[in-house]
Amino acid sequence: MTDFAGMEDLLSDFLIEAGDLLSGVDNKLVDLERSPADRSLLNDIFRGFHTIKGGAGFLNAGELVTLCHLTENLFDRLRNGELDVTPETMDVILAATAAVRDMFRDLEHGVMPHAADPILLASLQGAIEGTAAQAVPARPTDGIAAPQAGSGPDWKLLLSAVTRMPVPAVAAETPAVLQPEAAVAPEAIVNAALGRRATDKPGVSGPVGRRDTERVRDNSIRVDTARLDQVLNLSGEIGLTKNRLNALRSDILSGRNDTETLHALDIAVSQLDLLVSDLQNAVMKTRMQPIGRLFQKYPRIARDLARNLGKDVELVLAGEDTEIDKTMIEDLSDPIIHLIRNAVDHGIESATERAAAGKPSKSELRLEARQEGDHIVIMVADDGRGMDAERLRAKAVAKGLISEEEASTLDERQSYNLIFQPGFSMAEKISDVSGRGVGMDVVRTNIQKLNGAIEIRSQPGKGTSFVINLPLTLAILPVLLVRLGDQPFAVPLSMVREILPIATTMVQDVGGRATMVVRGEVLPILPLSGLLGWPQQQVPQYGVLMQTTEMSFVLAIDSFAGREDAVIKSLDDFRPKGVAGVTTLSNGQIVLILDMKELLGGSTAMLGMPRSALIPAPAEEVSG
Amino acid sequence: MADPKLRFLIVDDFSTMRRIVRNLLKELGYANVDEAEDGVVALQKLNTAPFDFVVTDWNMPNMDGLTLLQSIRRSPQLKHLPVLMITAEAKKENIIAAAQAGASGYIVKPFTAATLAEKLEKIFEKLGRSNAA
Repeated sequence: MTDFAGMEDLLSDFLIEAGDLLSGVDNKLVDLERSPADRSLLNDIFRGFHTIKGGAGFLNAGELVTLCHLTENLFDRLRNGELDVTPETMDVILAATAAVRDMFRDLEHGVMPHAADPILLASLQGAIEGTAAQAVPARPTDGIAAPQAGSGPDWKLLLSAVTRMPVPAVAAETPAVLQPEAAVAPEAIVNAALGRRATDKPGVSGPVGRRDTERVRDNSIRVDTARLDQVLNLSGEIGLTKNRLNALRSDILSGRNDTETLHALDIAVSQLDLLVSDLQNAVMKTRMQPIGRLFQKYPRIARDLARNLGKDVELVLAGEDTEIDKTMIEDLSDPIIHLIRNAVDHGIESATERAAAGKPSKSELRLEARQEGDHIVIMVADDGRGMDAERLRAKAVAKGLISEEEASTLDERQSYNLIFQPGFSMAEKISDVSGRGVGMDVVRTNIQKLNGAIEIRSQPGKGTSFVINLPLTLAILPVLLVRLGDQPFAVPLSMVREILPIATTMVQDVGGRATMVVRGEVLPILPLSGLLGWPQQQVPQYGVLMQTTEMSFVLAIDSFAGREDAVIKSLDDFRPKGVAGVTTLSNGQIVLILDMKELLGGSTAMLGMPRSALIPAPAEEVSG
Repeated sequence: MADPKLRFLIVDDFSTMRRIVRNLLKELGYANVDEAEDGVVALQKLNTAPFDFVVTDWNMPNMDGLTLLQSIRRSPQLKHLPVLMITAEAKKENIIAAAQAGASGYIVKPFTAATLAEKLEKIFEKLGRSNAA
């Protein structure tokens, strides 16, 4: 099965640590491009490759050792001042880094990496020897590459490099970043820049299809021992409190119920209360990781994209220390790539356009994270041209995503949100970097899967910000408990805007559907009983104003029972439509947590019912 | 042969590598092992607790293995400590530099438990001789 039998532990350790190291190297390379003579940067990068090489040796990954060794030698000469960093060497180095990453991916799948592209090895060797930098020839179409004559690389070396390896399969994968000027399909450039395979385009296999392969890695987690100690401490304390409670129970069972005993019981229980919530927090903390580990791979991606599009973009990171649940970090990786790609491609203007607008030629793209109360905010903000609501609406109508009438009712915010519609693509030409119309809808779907929300803020001429709001953890979900008759249900509090009474006189028919006006906005009333397919027993008393990214509506219910921090238990083999999971209330009652999005179904336009169905005839009074 | 009480300090900035060395030492029967992630931390540990053997990487941030070795040899308390250098370089000038700085042994990555055992044995042999003399 795997080439690494017996070494799985070592391999996964190596991949985690070396992966971090390589991301660090990638970032330093971006810095190096701006200050090519920085000795300490060169030294750090040298050490990065050196360390990876050392680890790879123990895994018997000979080809990875060879590649790292050559790159390390190049940096050795660079840091000793024997060579200067030129744009050409930069290209070779970046290609080498990408090749190392490719090999890591092989390792992740338990496959011994194949030899790196011989042309890359030859270019590295050429760079080390300081031969006039050769333009690497365009992607070879057949097995044996034909390097350019003239200022070409060392032929002997190339020959030995070429003959040593099983060429055909490998050569076809020449990293496209090697020849930014060559006529390579932009998609290939992006795929190479993102380190993705052409086959895992989102939208093709569906947003979750990808996971099966990529989930192989990272079932382990690195936790600060101080945090584990705290968990241990708290569980010890809880044990002590449990003993205390046991003693008190025997006392009470044997008939002692004086105030002193009861007071002691009260103290012990409230202590336990405190300790358990501390323990929950402490356990949650062990899953928290600084988001910087995710962020650090983006500067390189942004740089490669910008460069291929002829733009000058600096990705500025902020709030890397912000901690976030580990599973979320993994699931955020792709959405953020899409947002960065979108910003570099669409948000940021071309150099000429920026000059005409009087903006500095270098644009700043900010990637920022911070904690606000009990949620995490991640922002991708560009200083580009901003979004044009009018153009977005026209585009959506032209694409047949919405009708003219619908378009005319959309406000600015809703118009911006059109870009999250599946099939919406703002680029005029489909060959454009991010003009494939997949991506933004996947971004939103993925964020929503994390119980998060994404919002767009834009100012024409000033720039666009995508703001992602995420809960601190997926394990605990704040919910609102609503009642239908005697049956309680839980709805995610994140969707709830407010609770209002439904007065029958306020309910009006609009287009055959019951609606009510809340602060000037006409909102459909959707009875929960209707969504669940239950008969309606009584006229709903209350409405919960709920907001999804597509729509706002009033969920009609009989009464409500308060809010709770639900610990979600998923229903593994049995999952009725519209039920996200279950939770247990303090009184032991089991409550279903509703998945509102699923309950509403794909199209929301046809939901709702006429007023007469909502409010039976006897209640209807002819007033005035 | 192996004295399980011998206390080792493994110095490497790459924790995967520290783990590899630790496992190899364990295989050879040495379980009393501490770790440090660079020369600076290593010196601190050496100065605060007794160690019998140092296994150090060459290339590290803050303080590299060669500087660590030189500092150990300069220190009156530590200068007798055996120091085994581990590096990915098999270059002659590196080996000479290590020898001149007073390394007790030099081992090139990657290596097996057998290689490590052999190097350790050689070092112990030399130590035994110099102690006997």
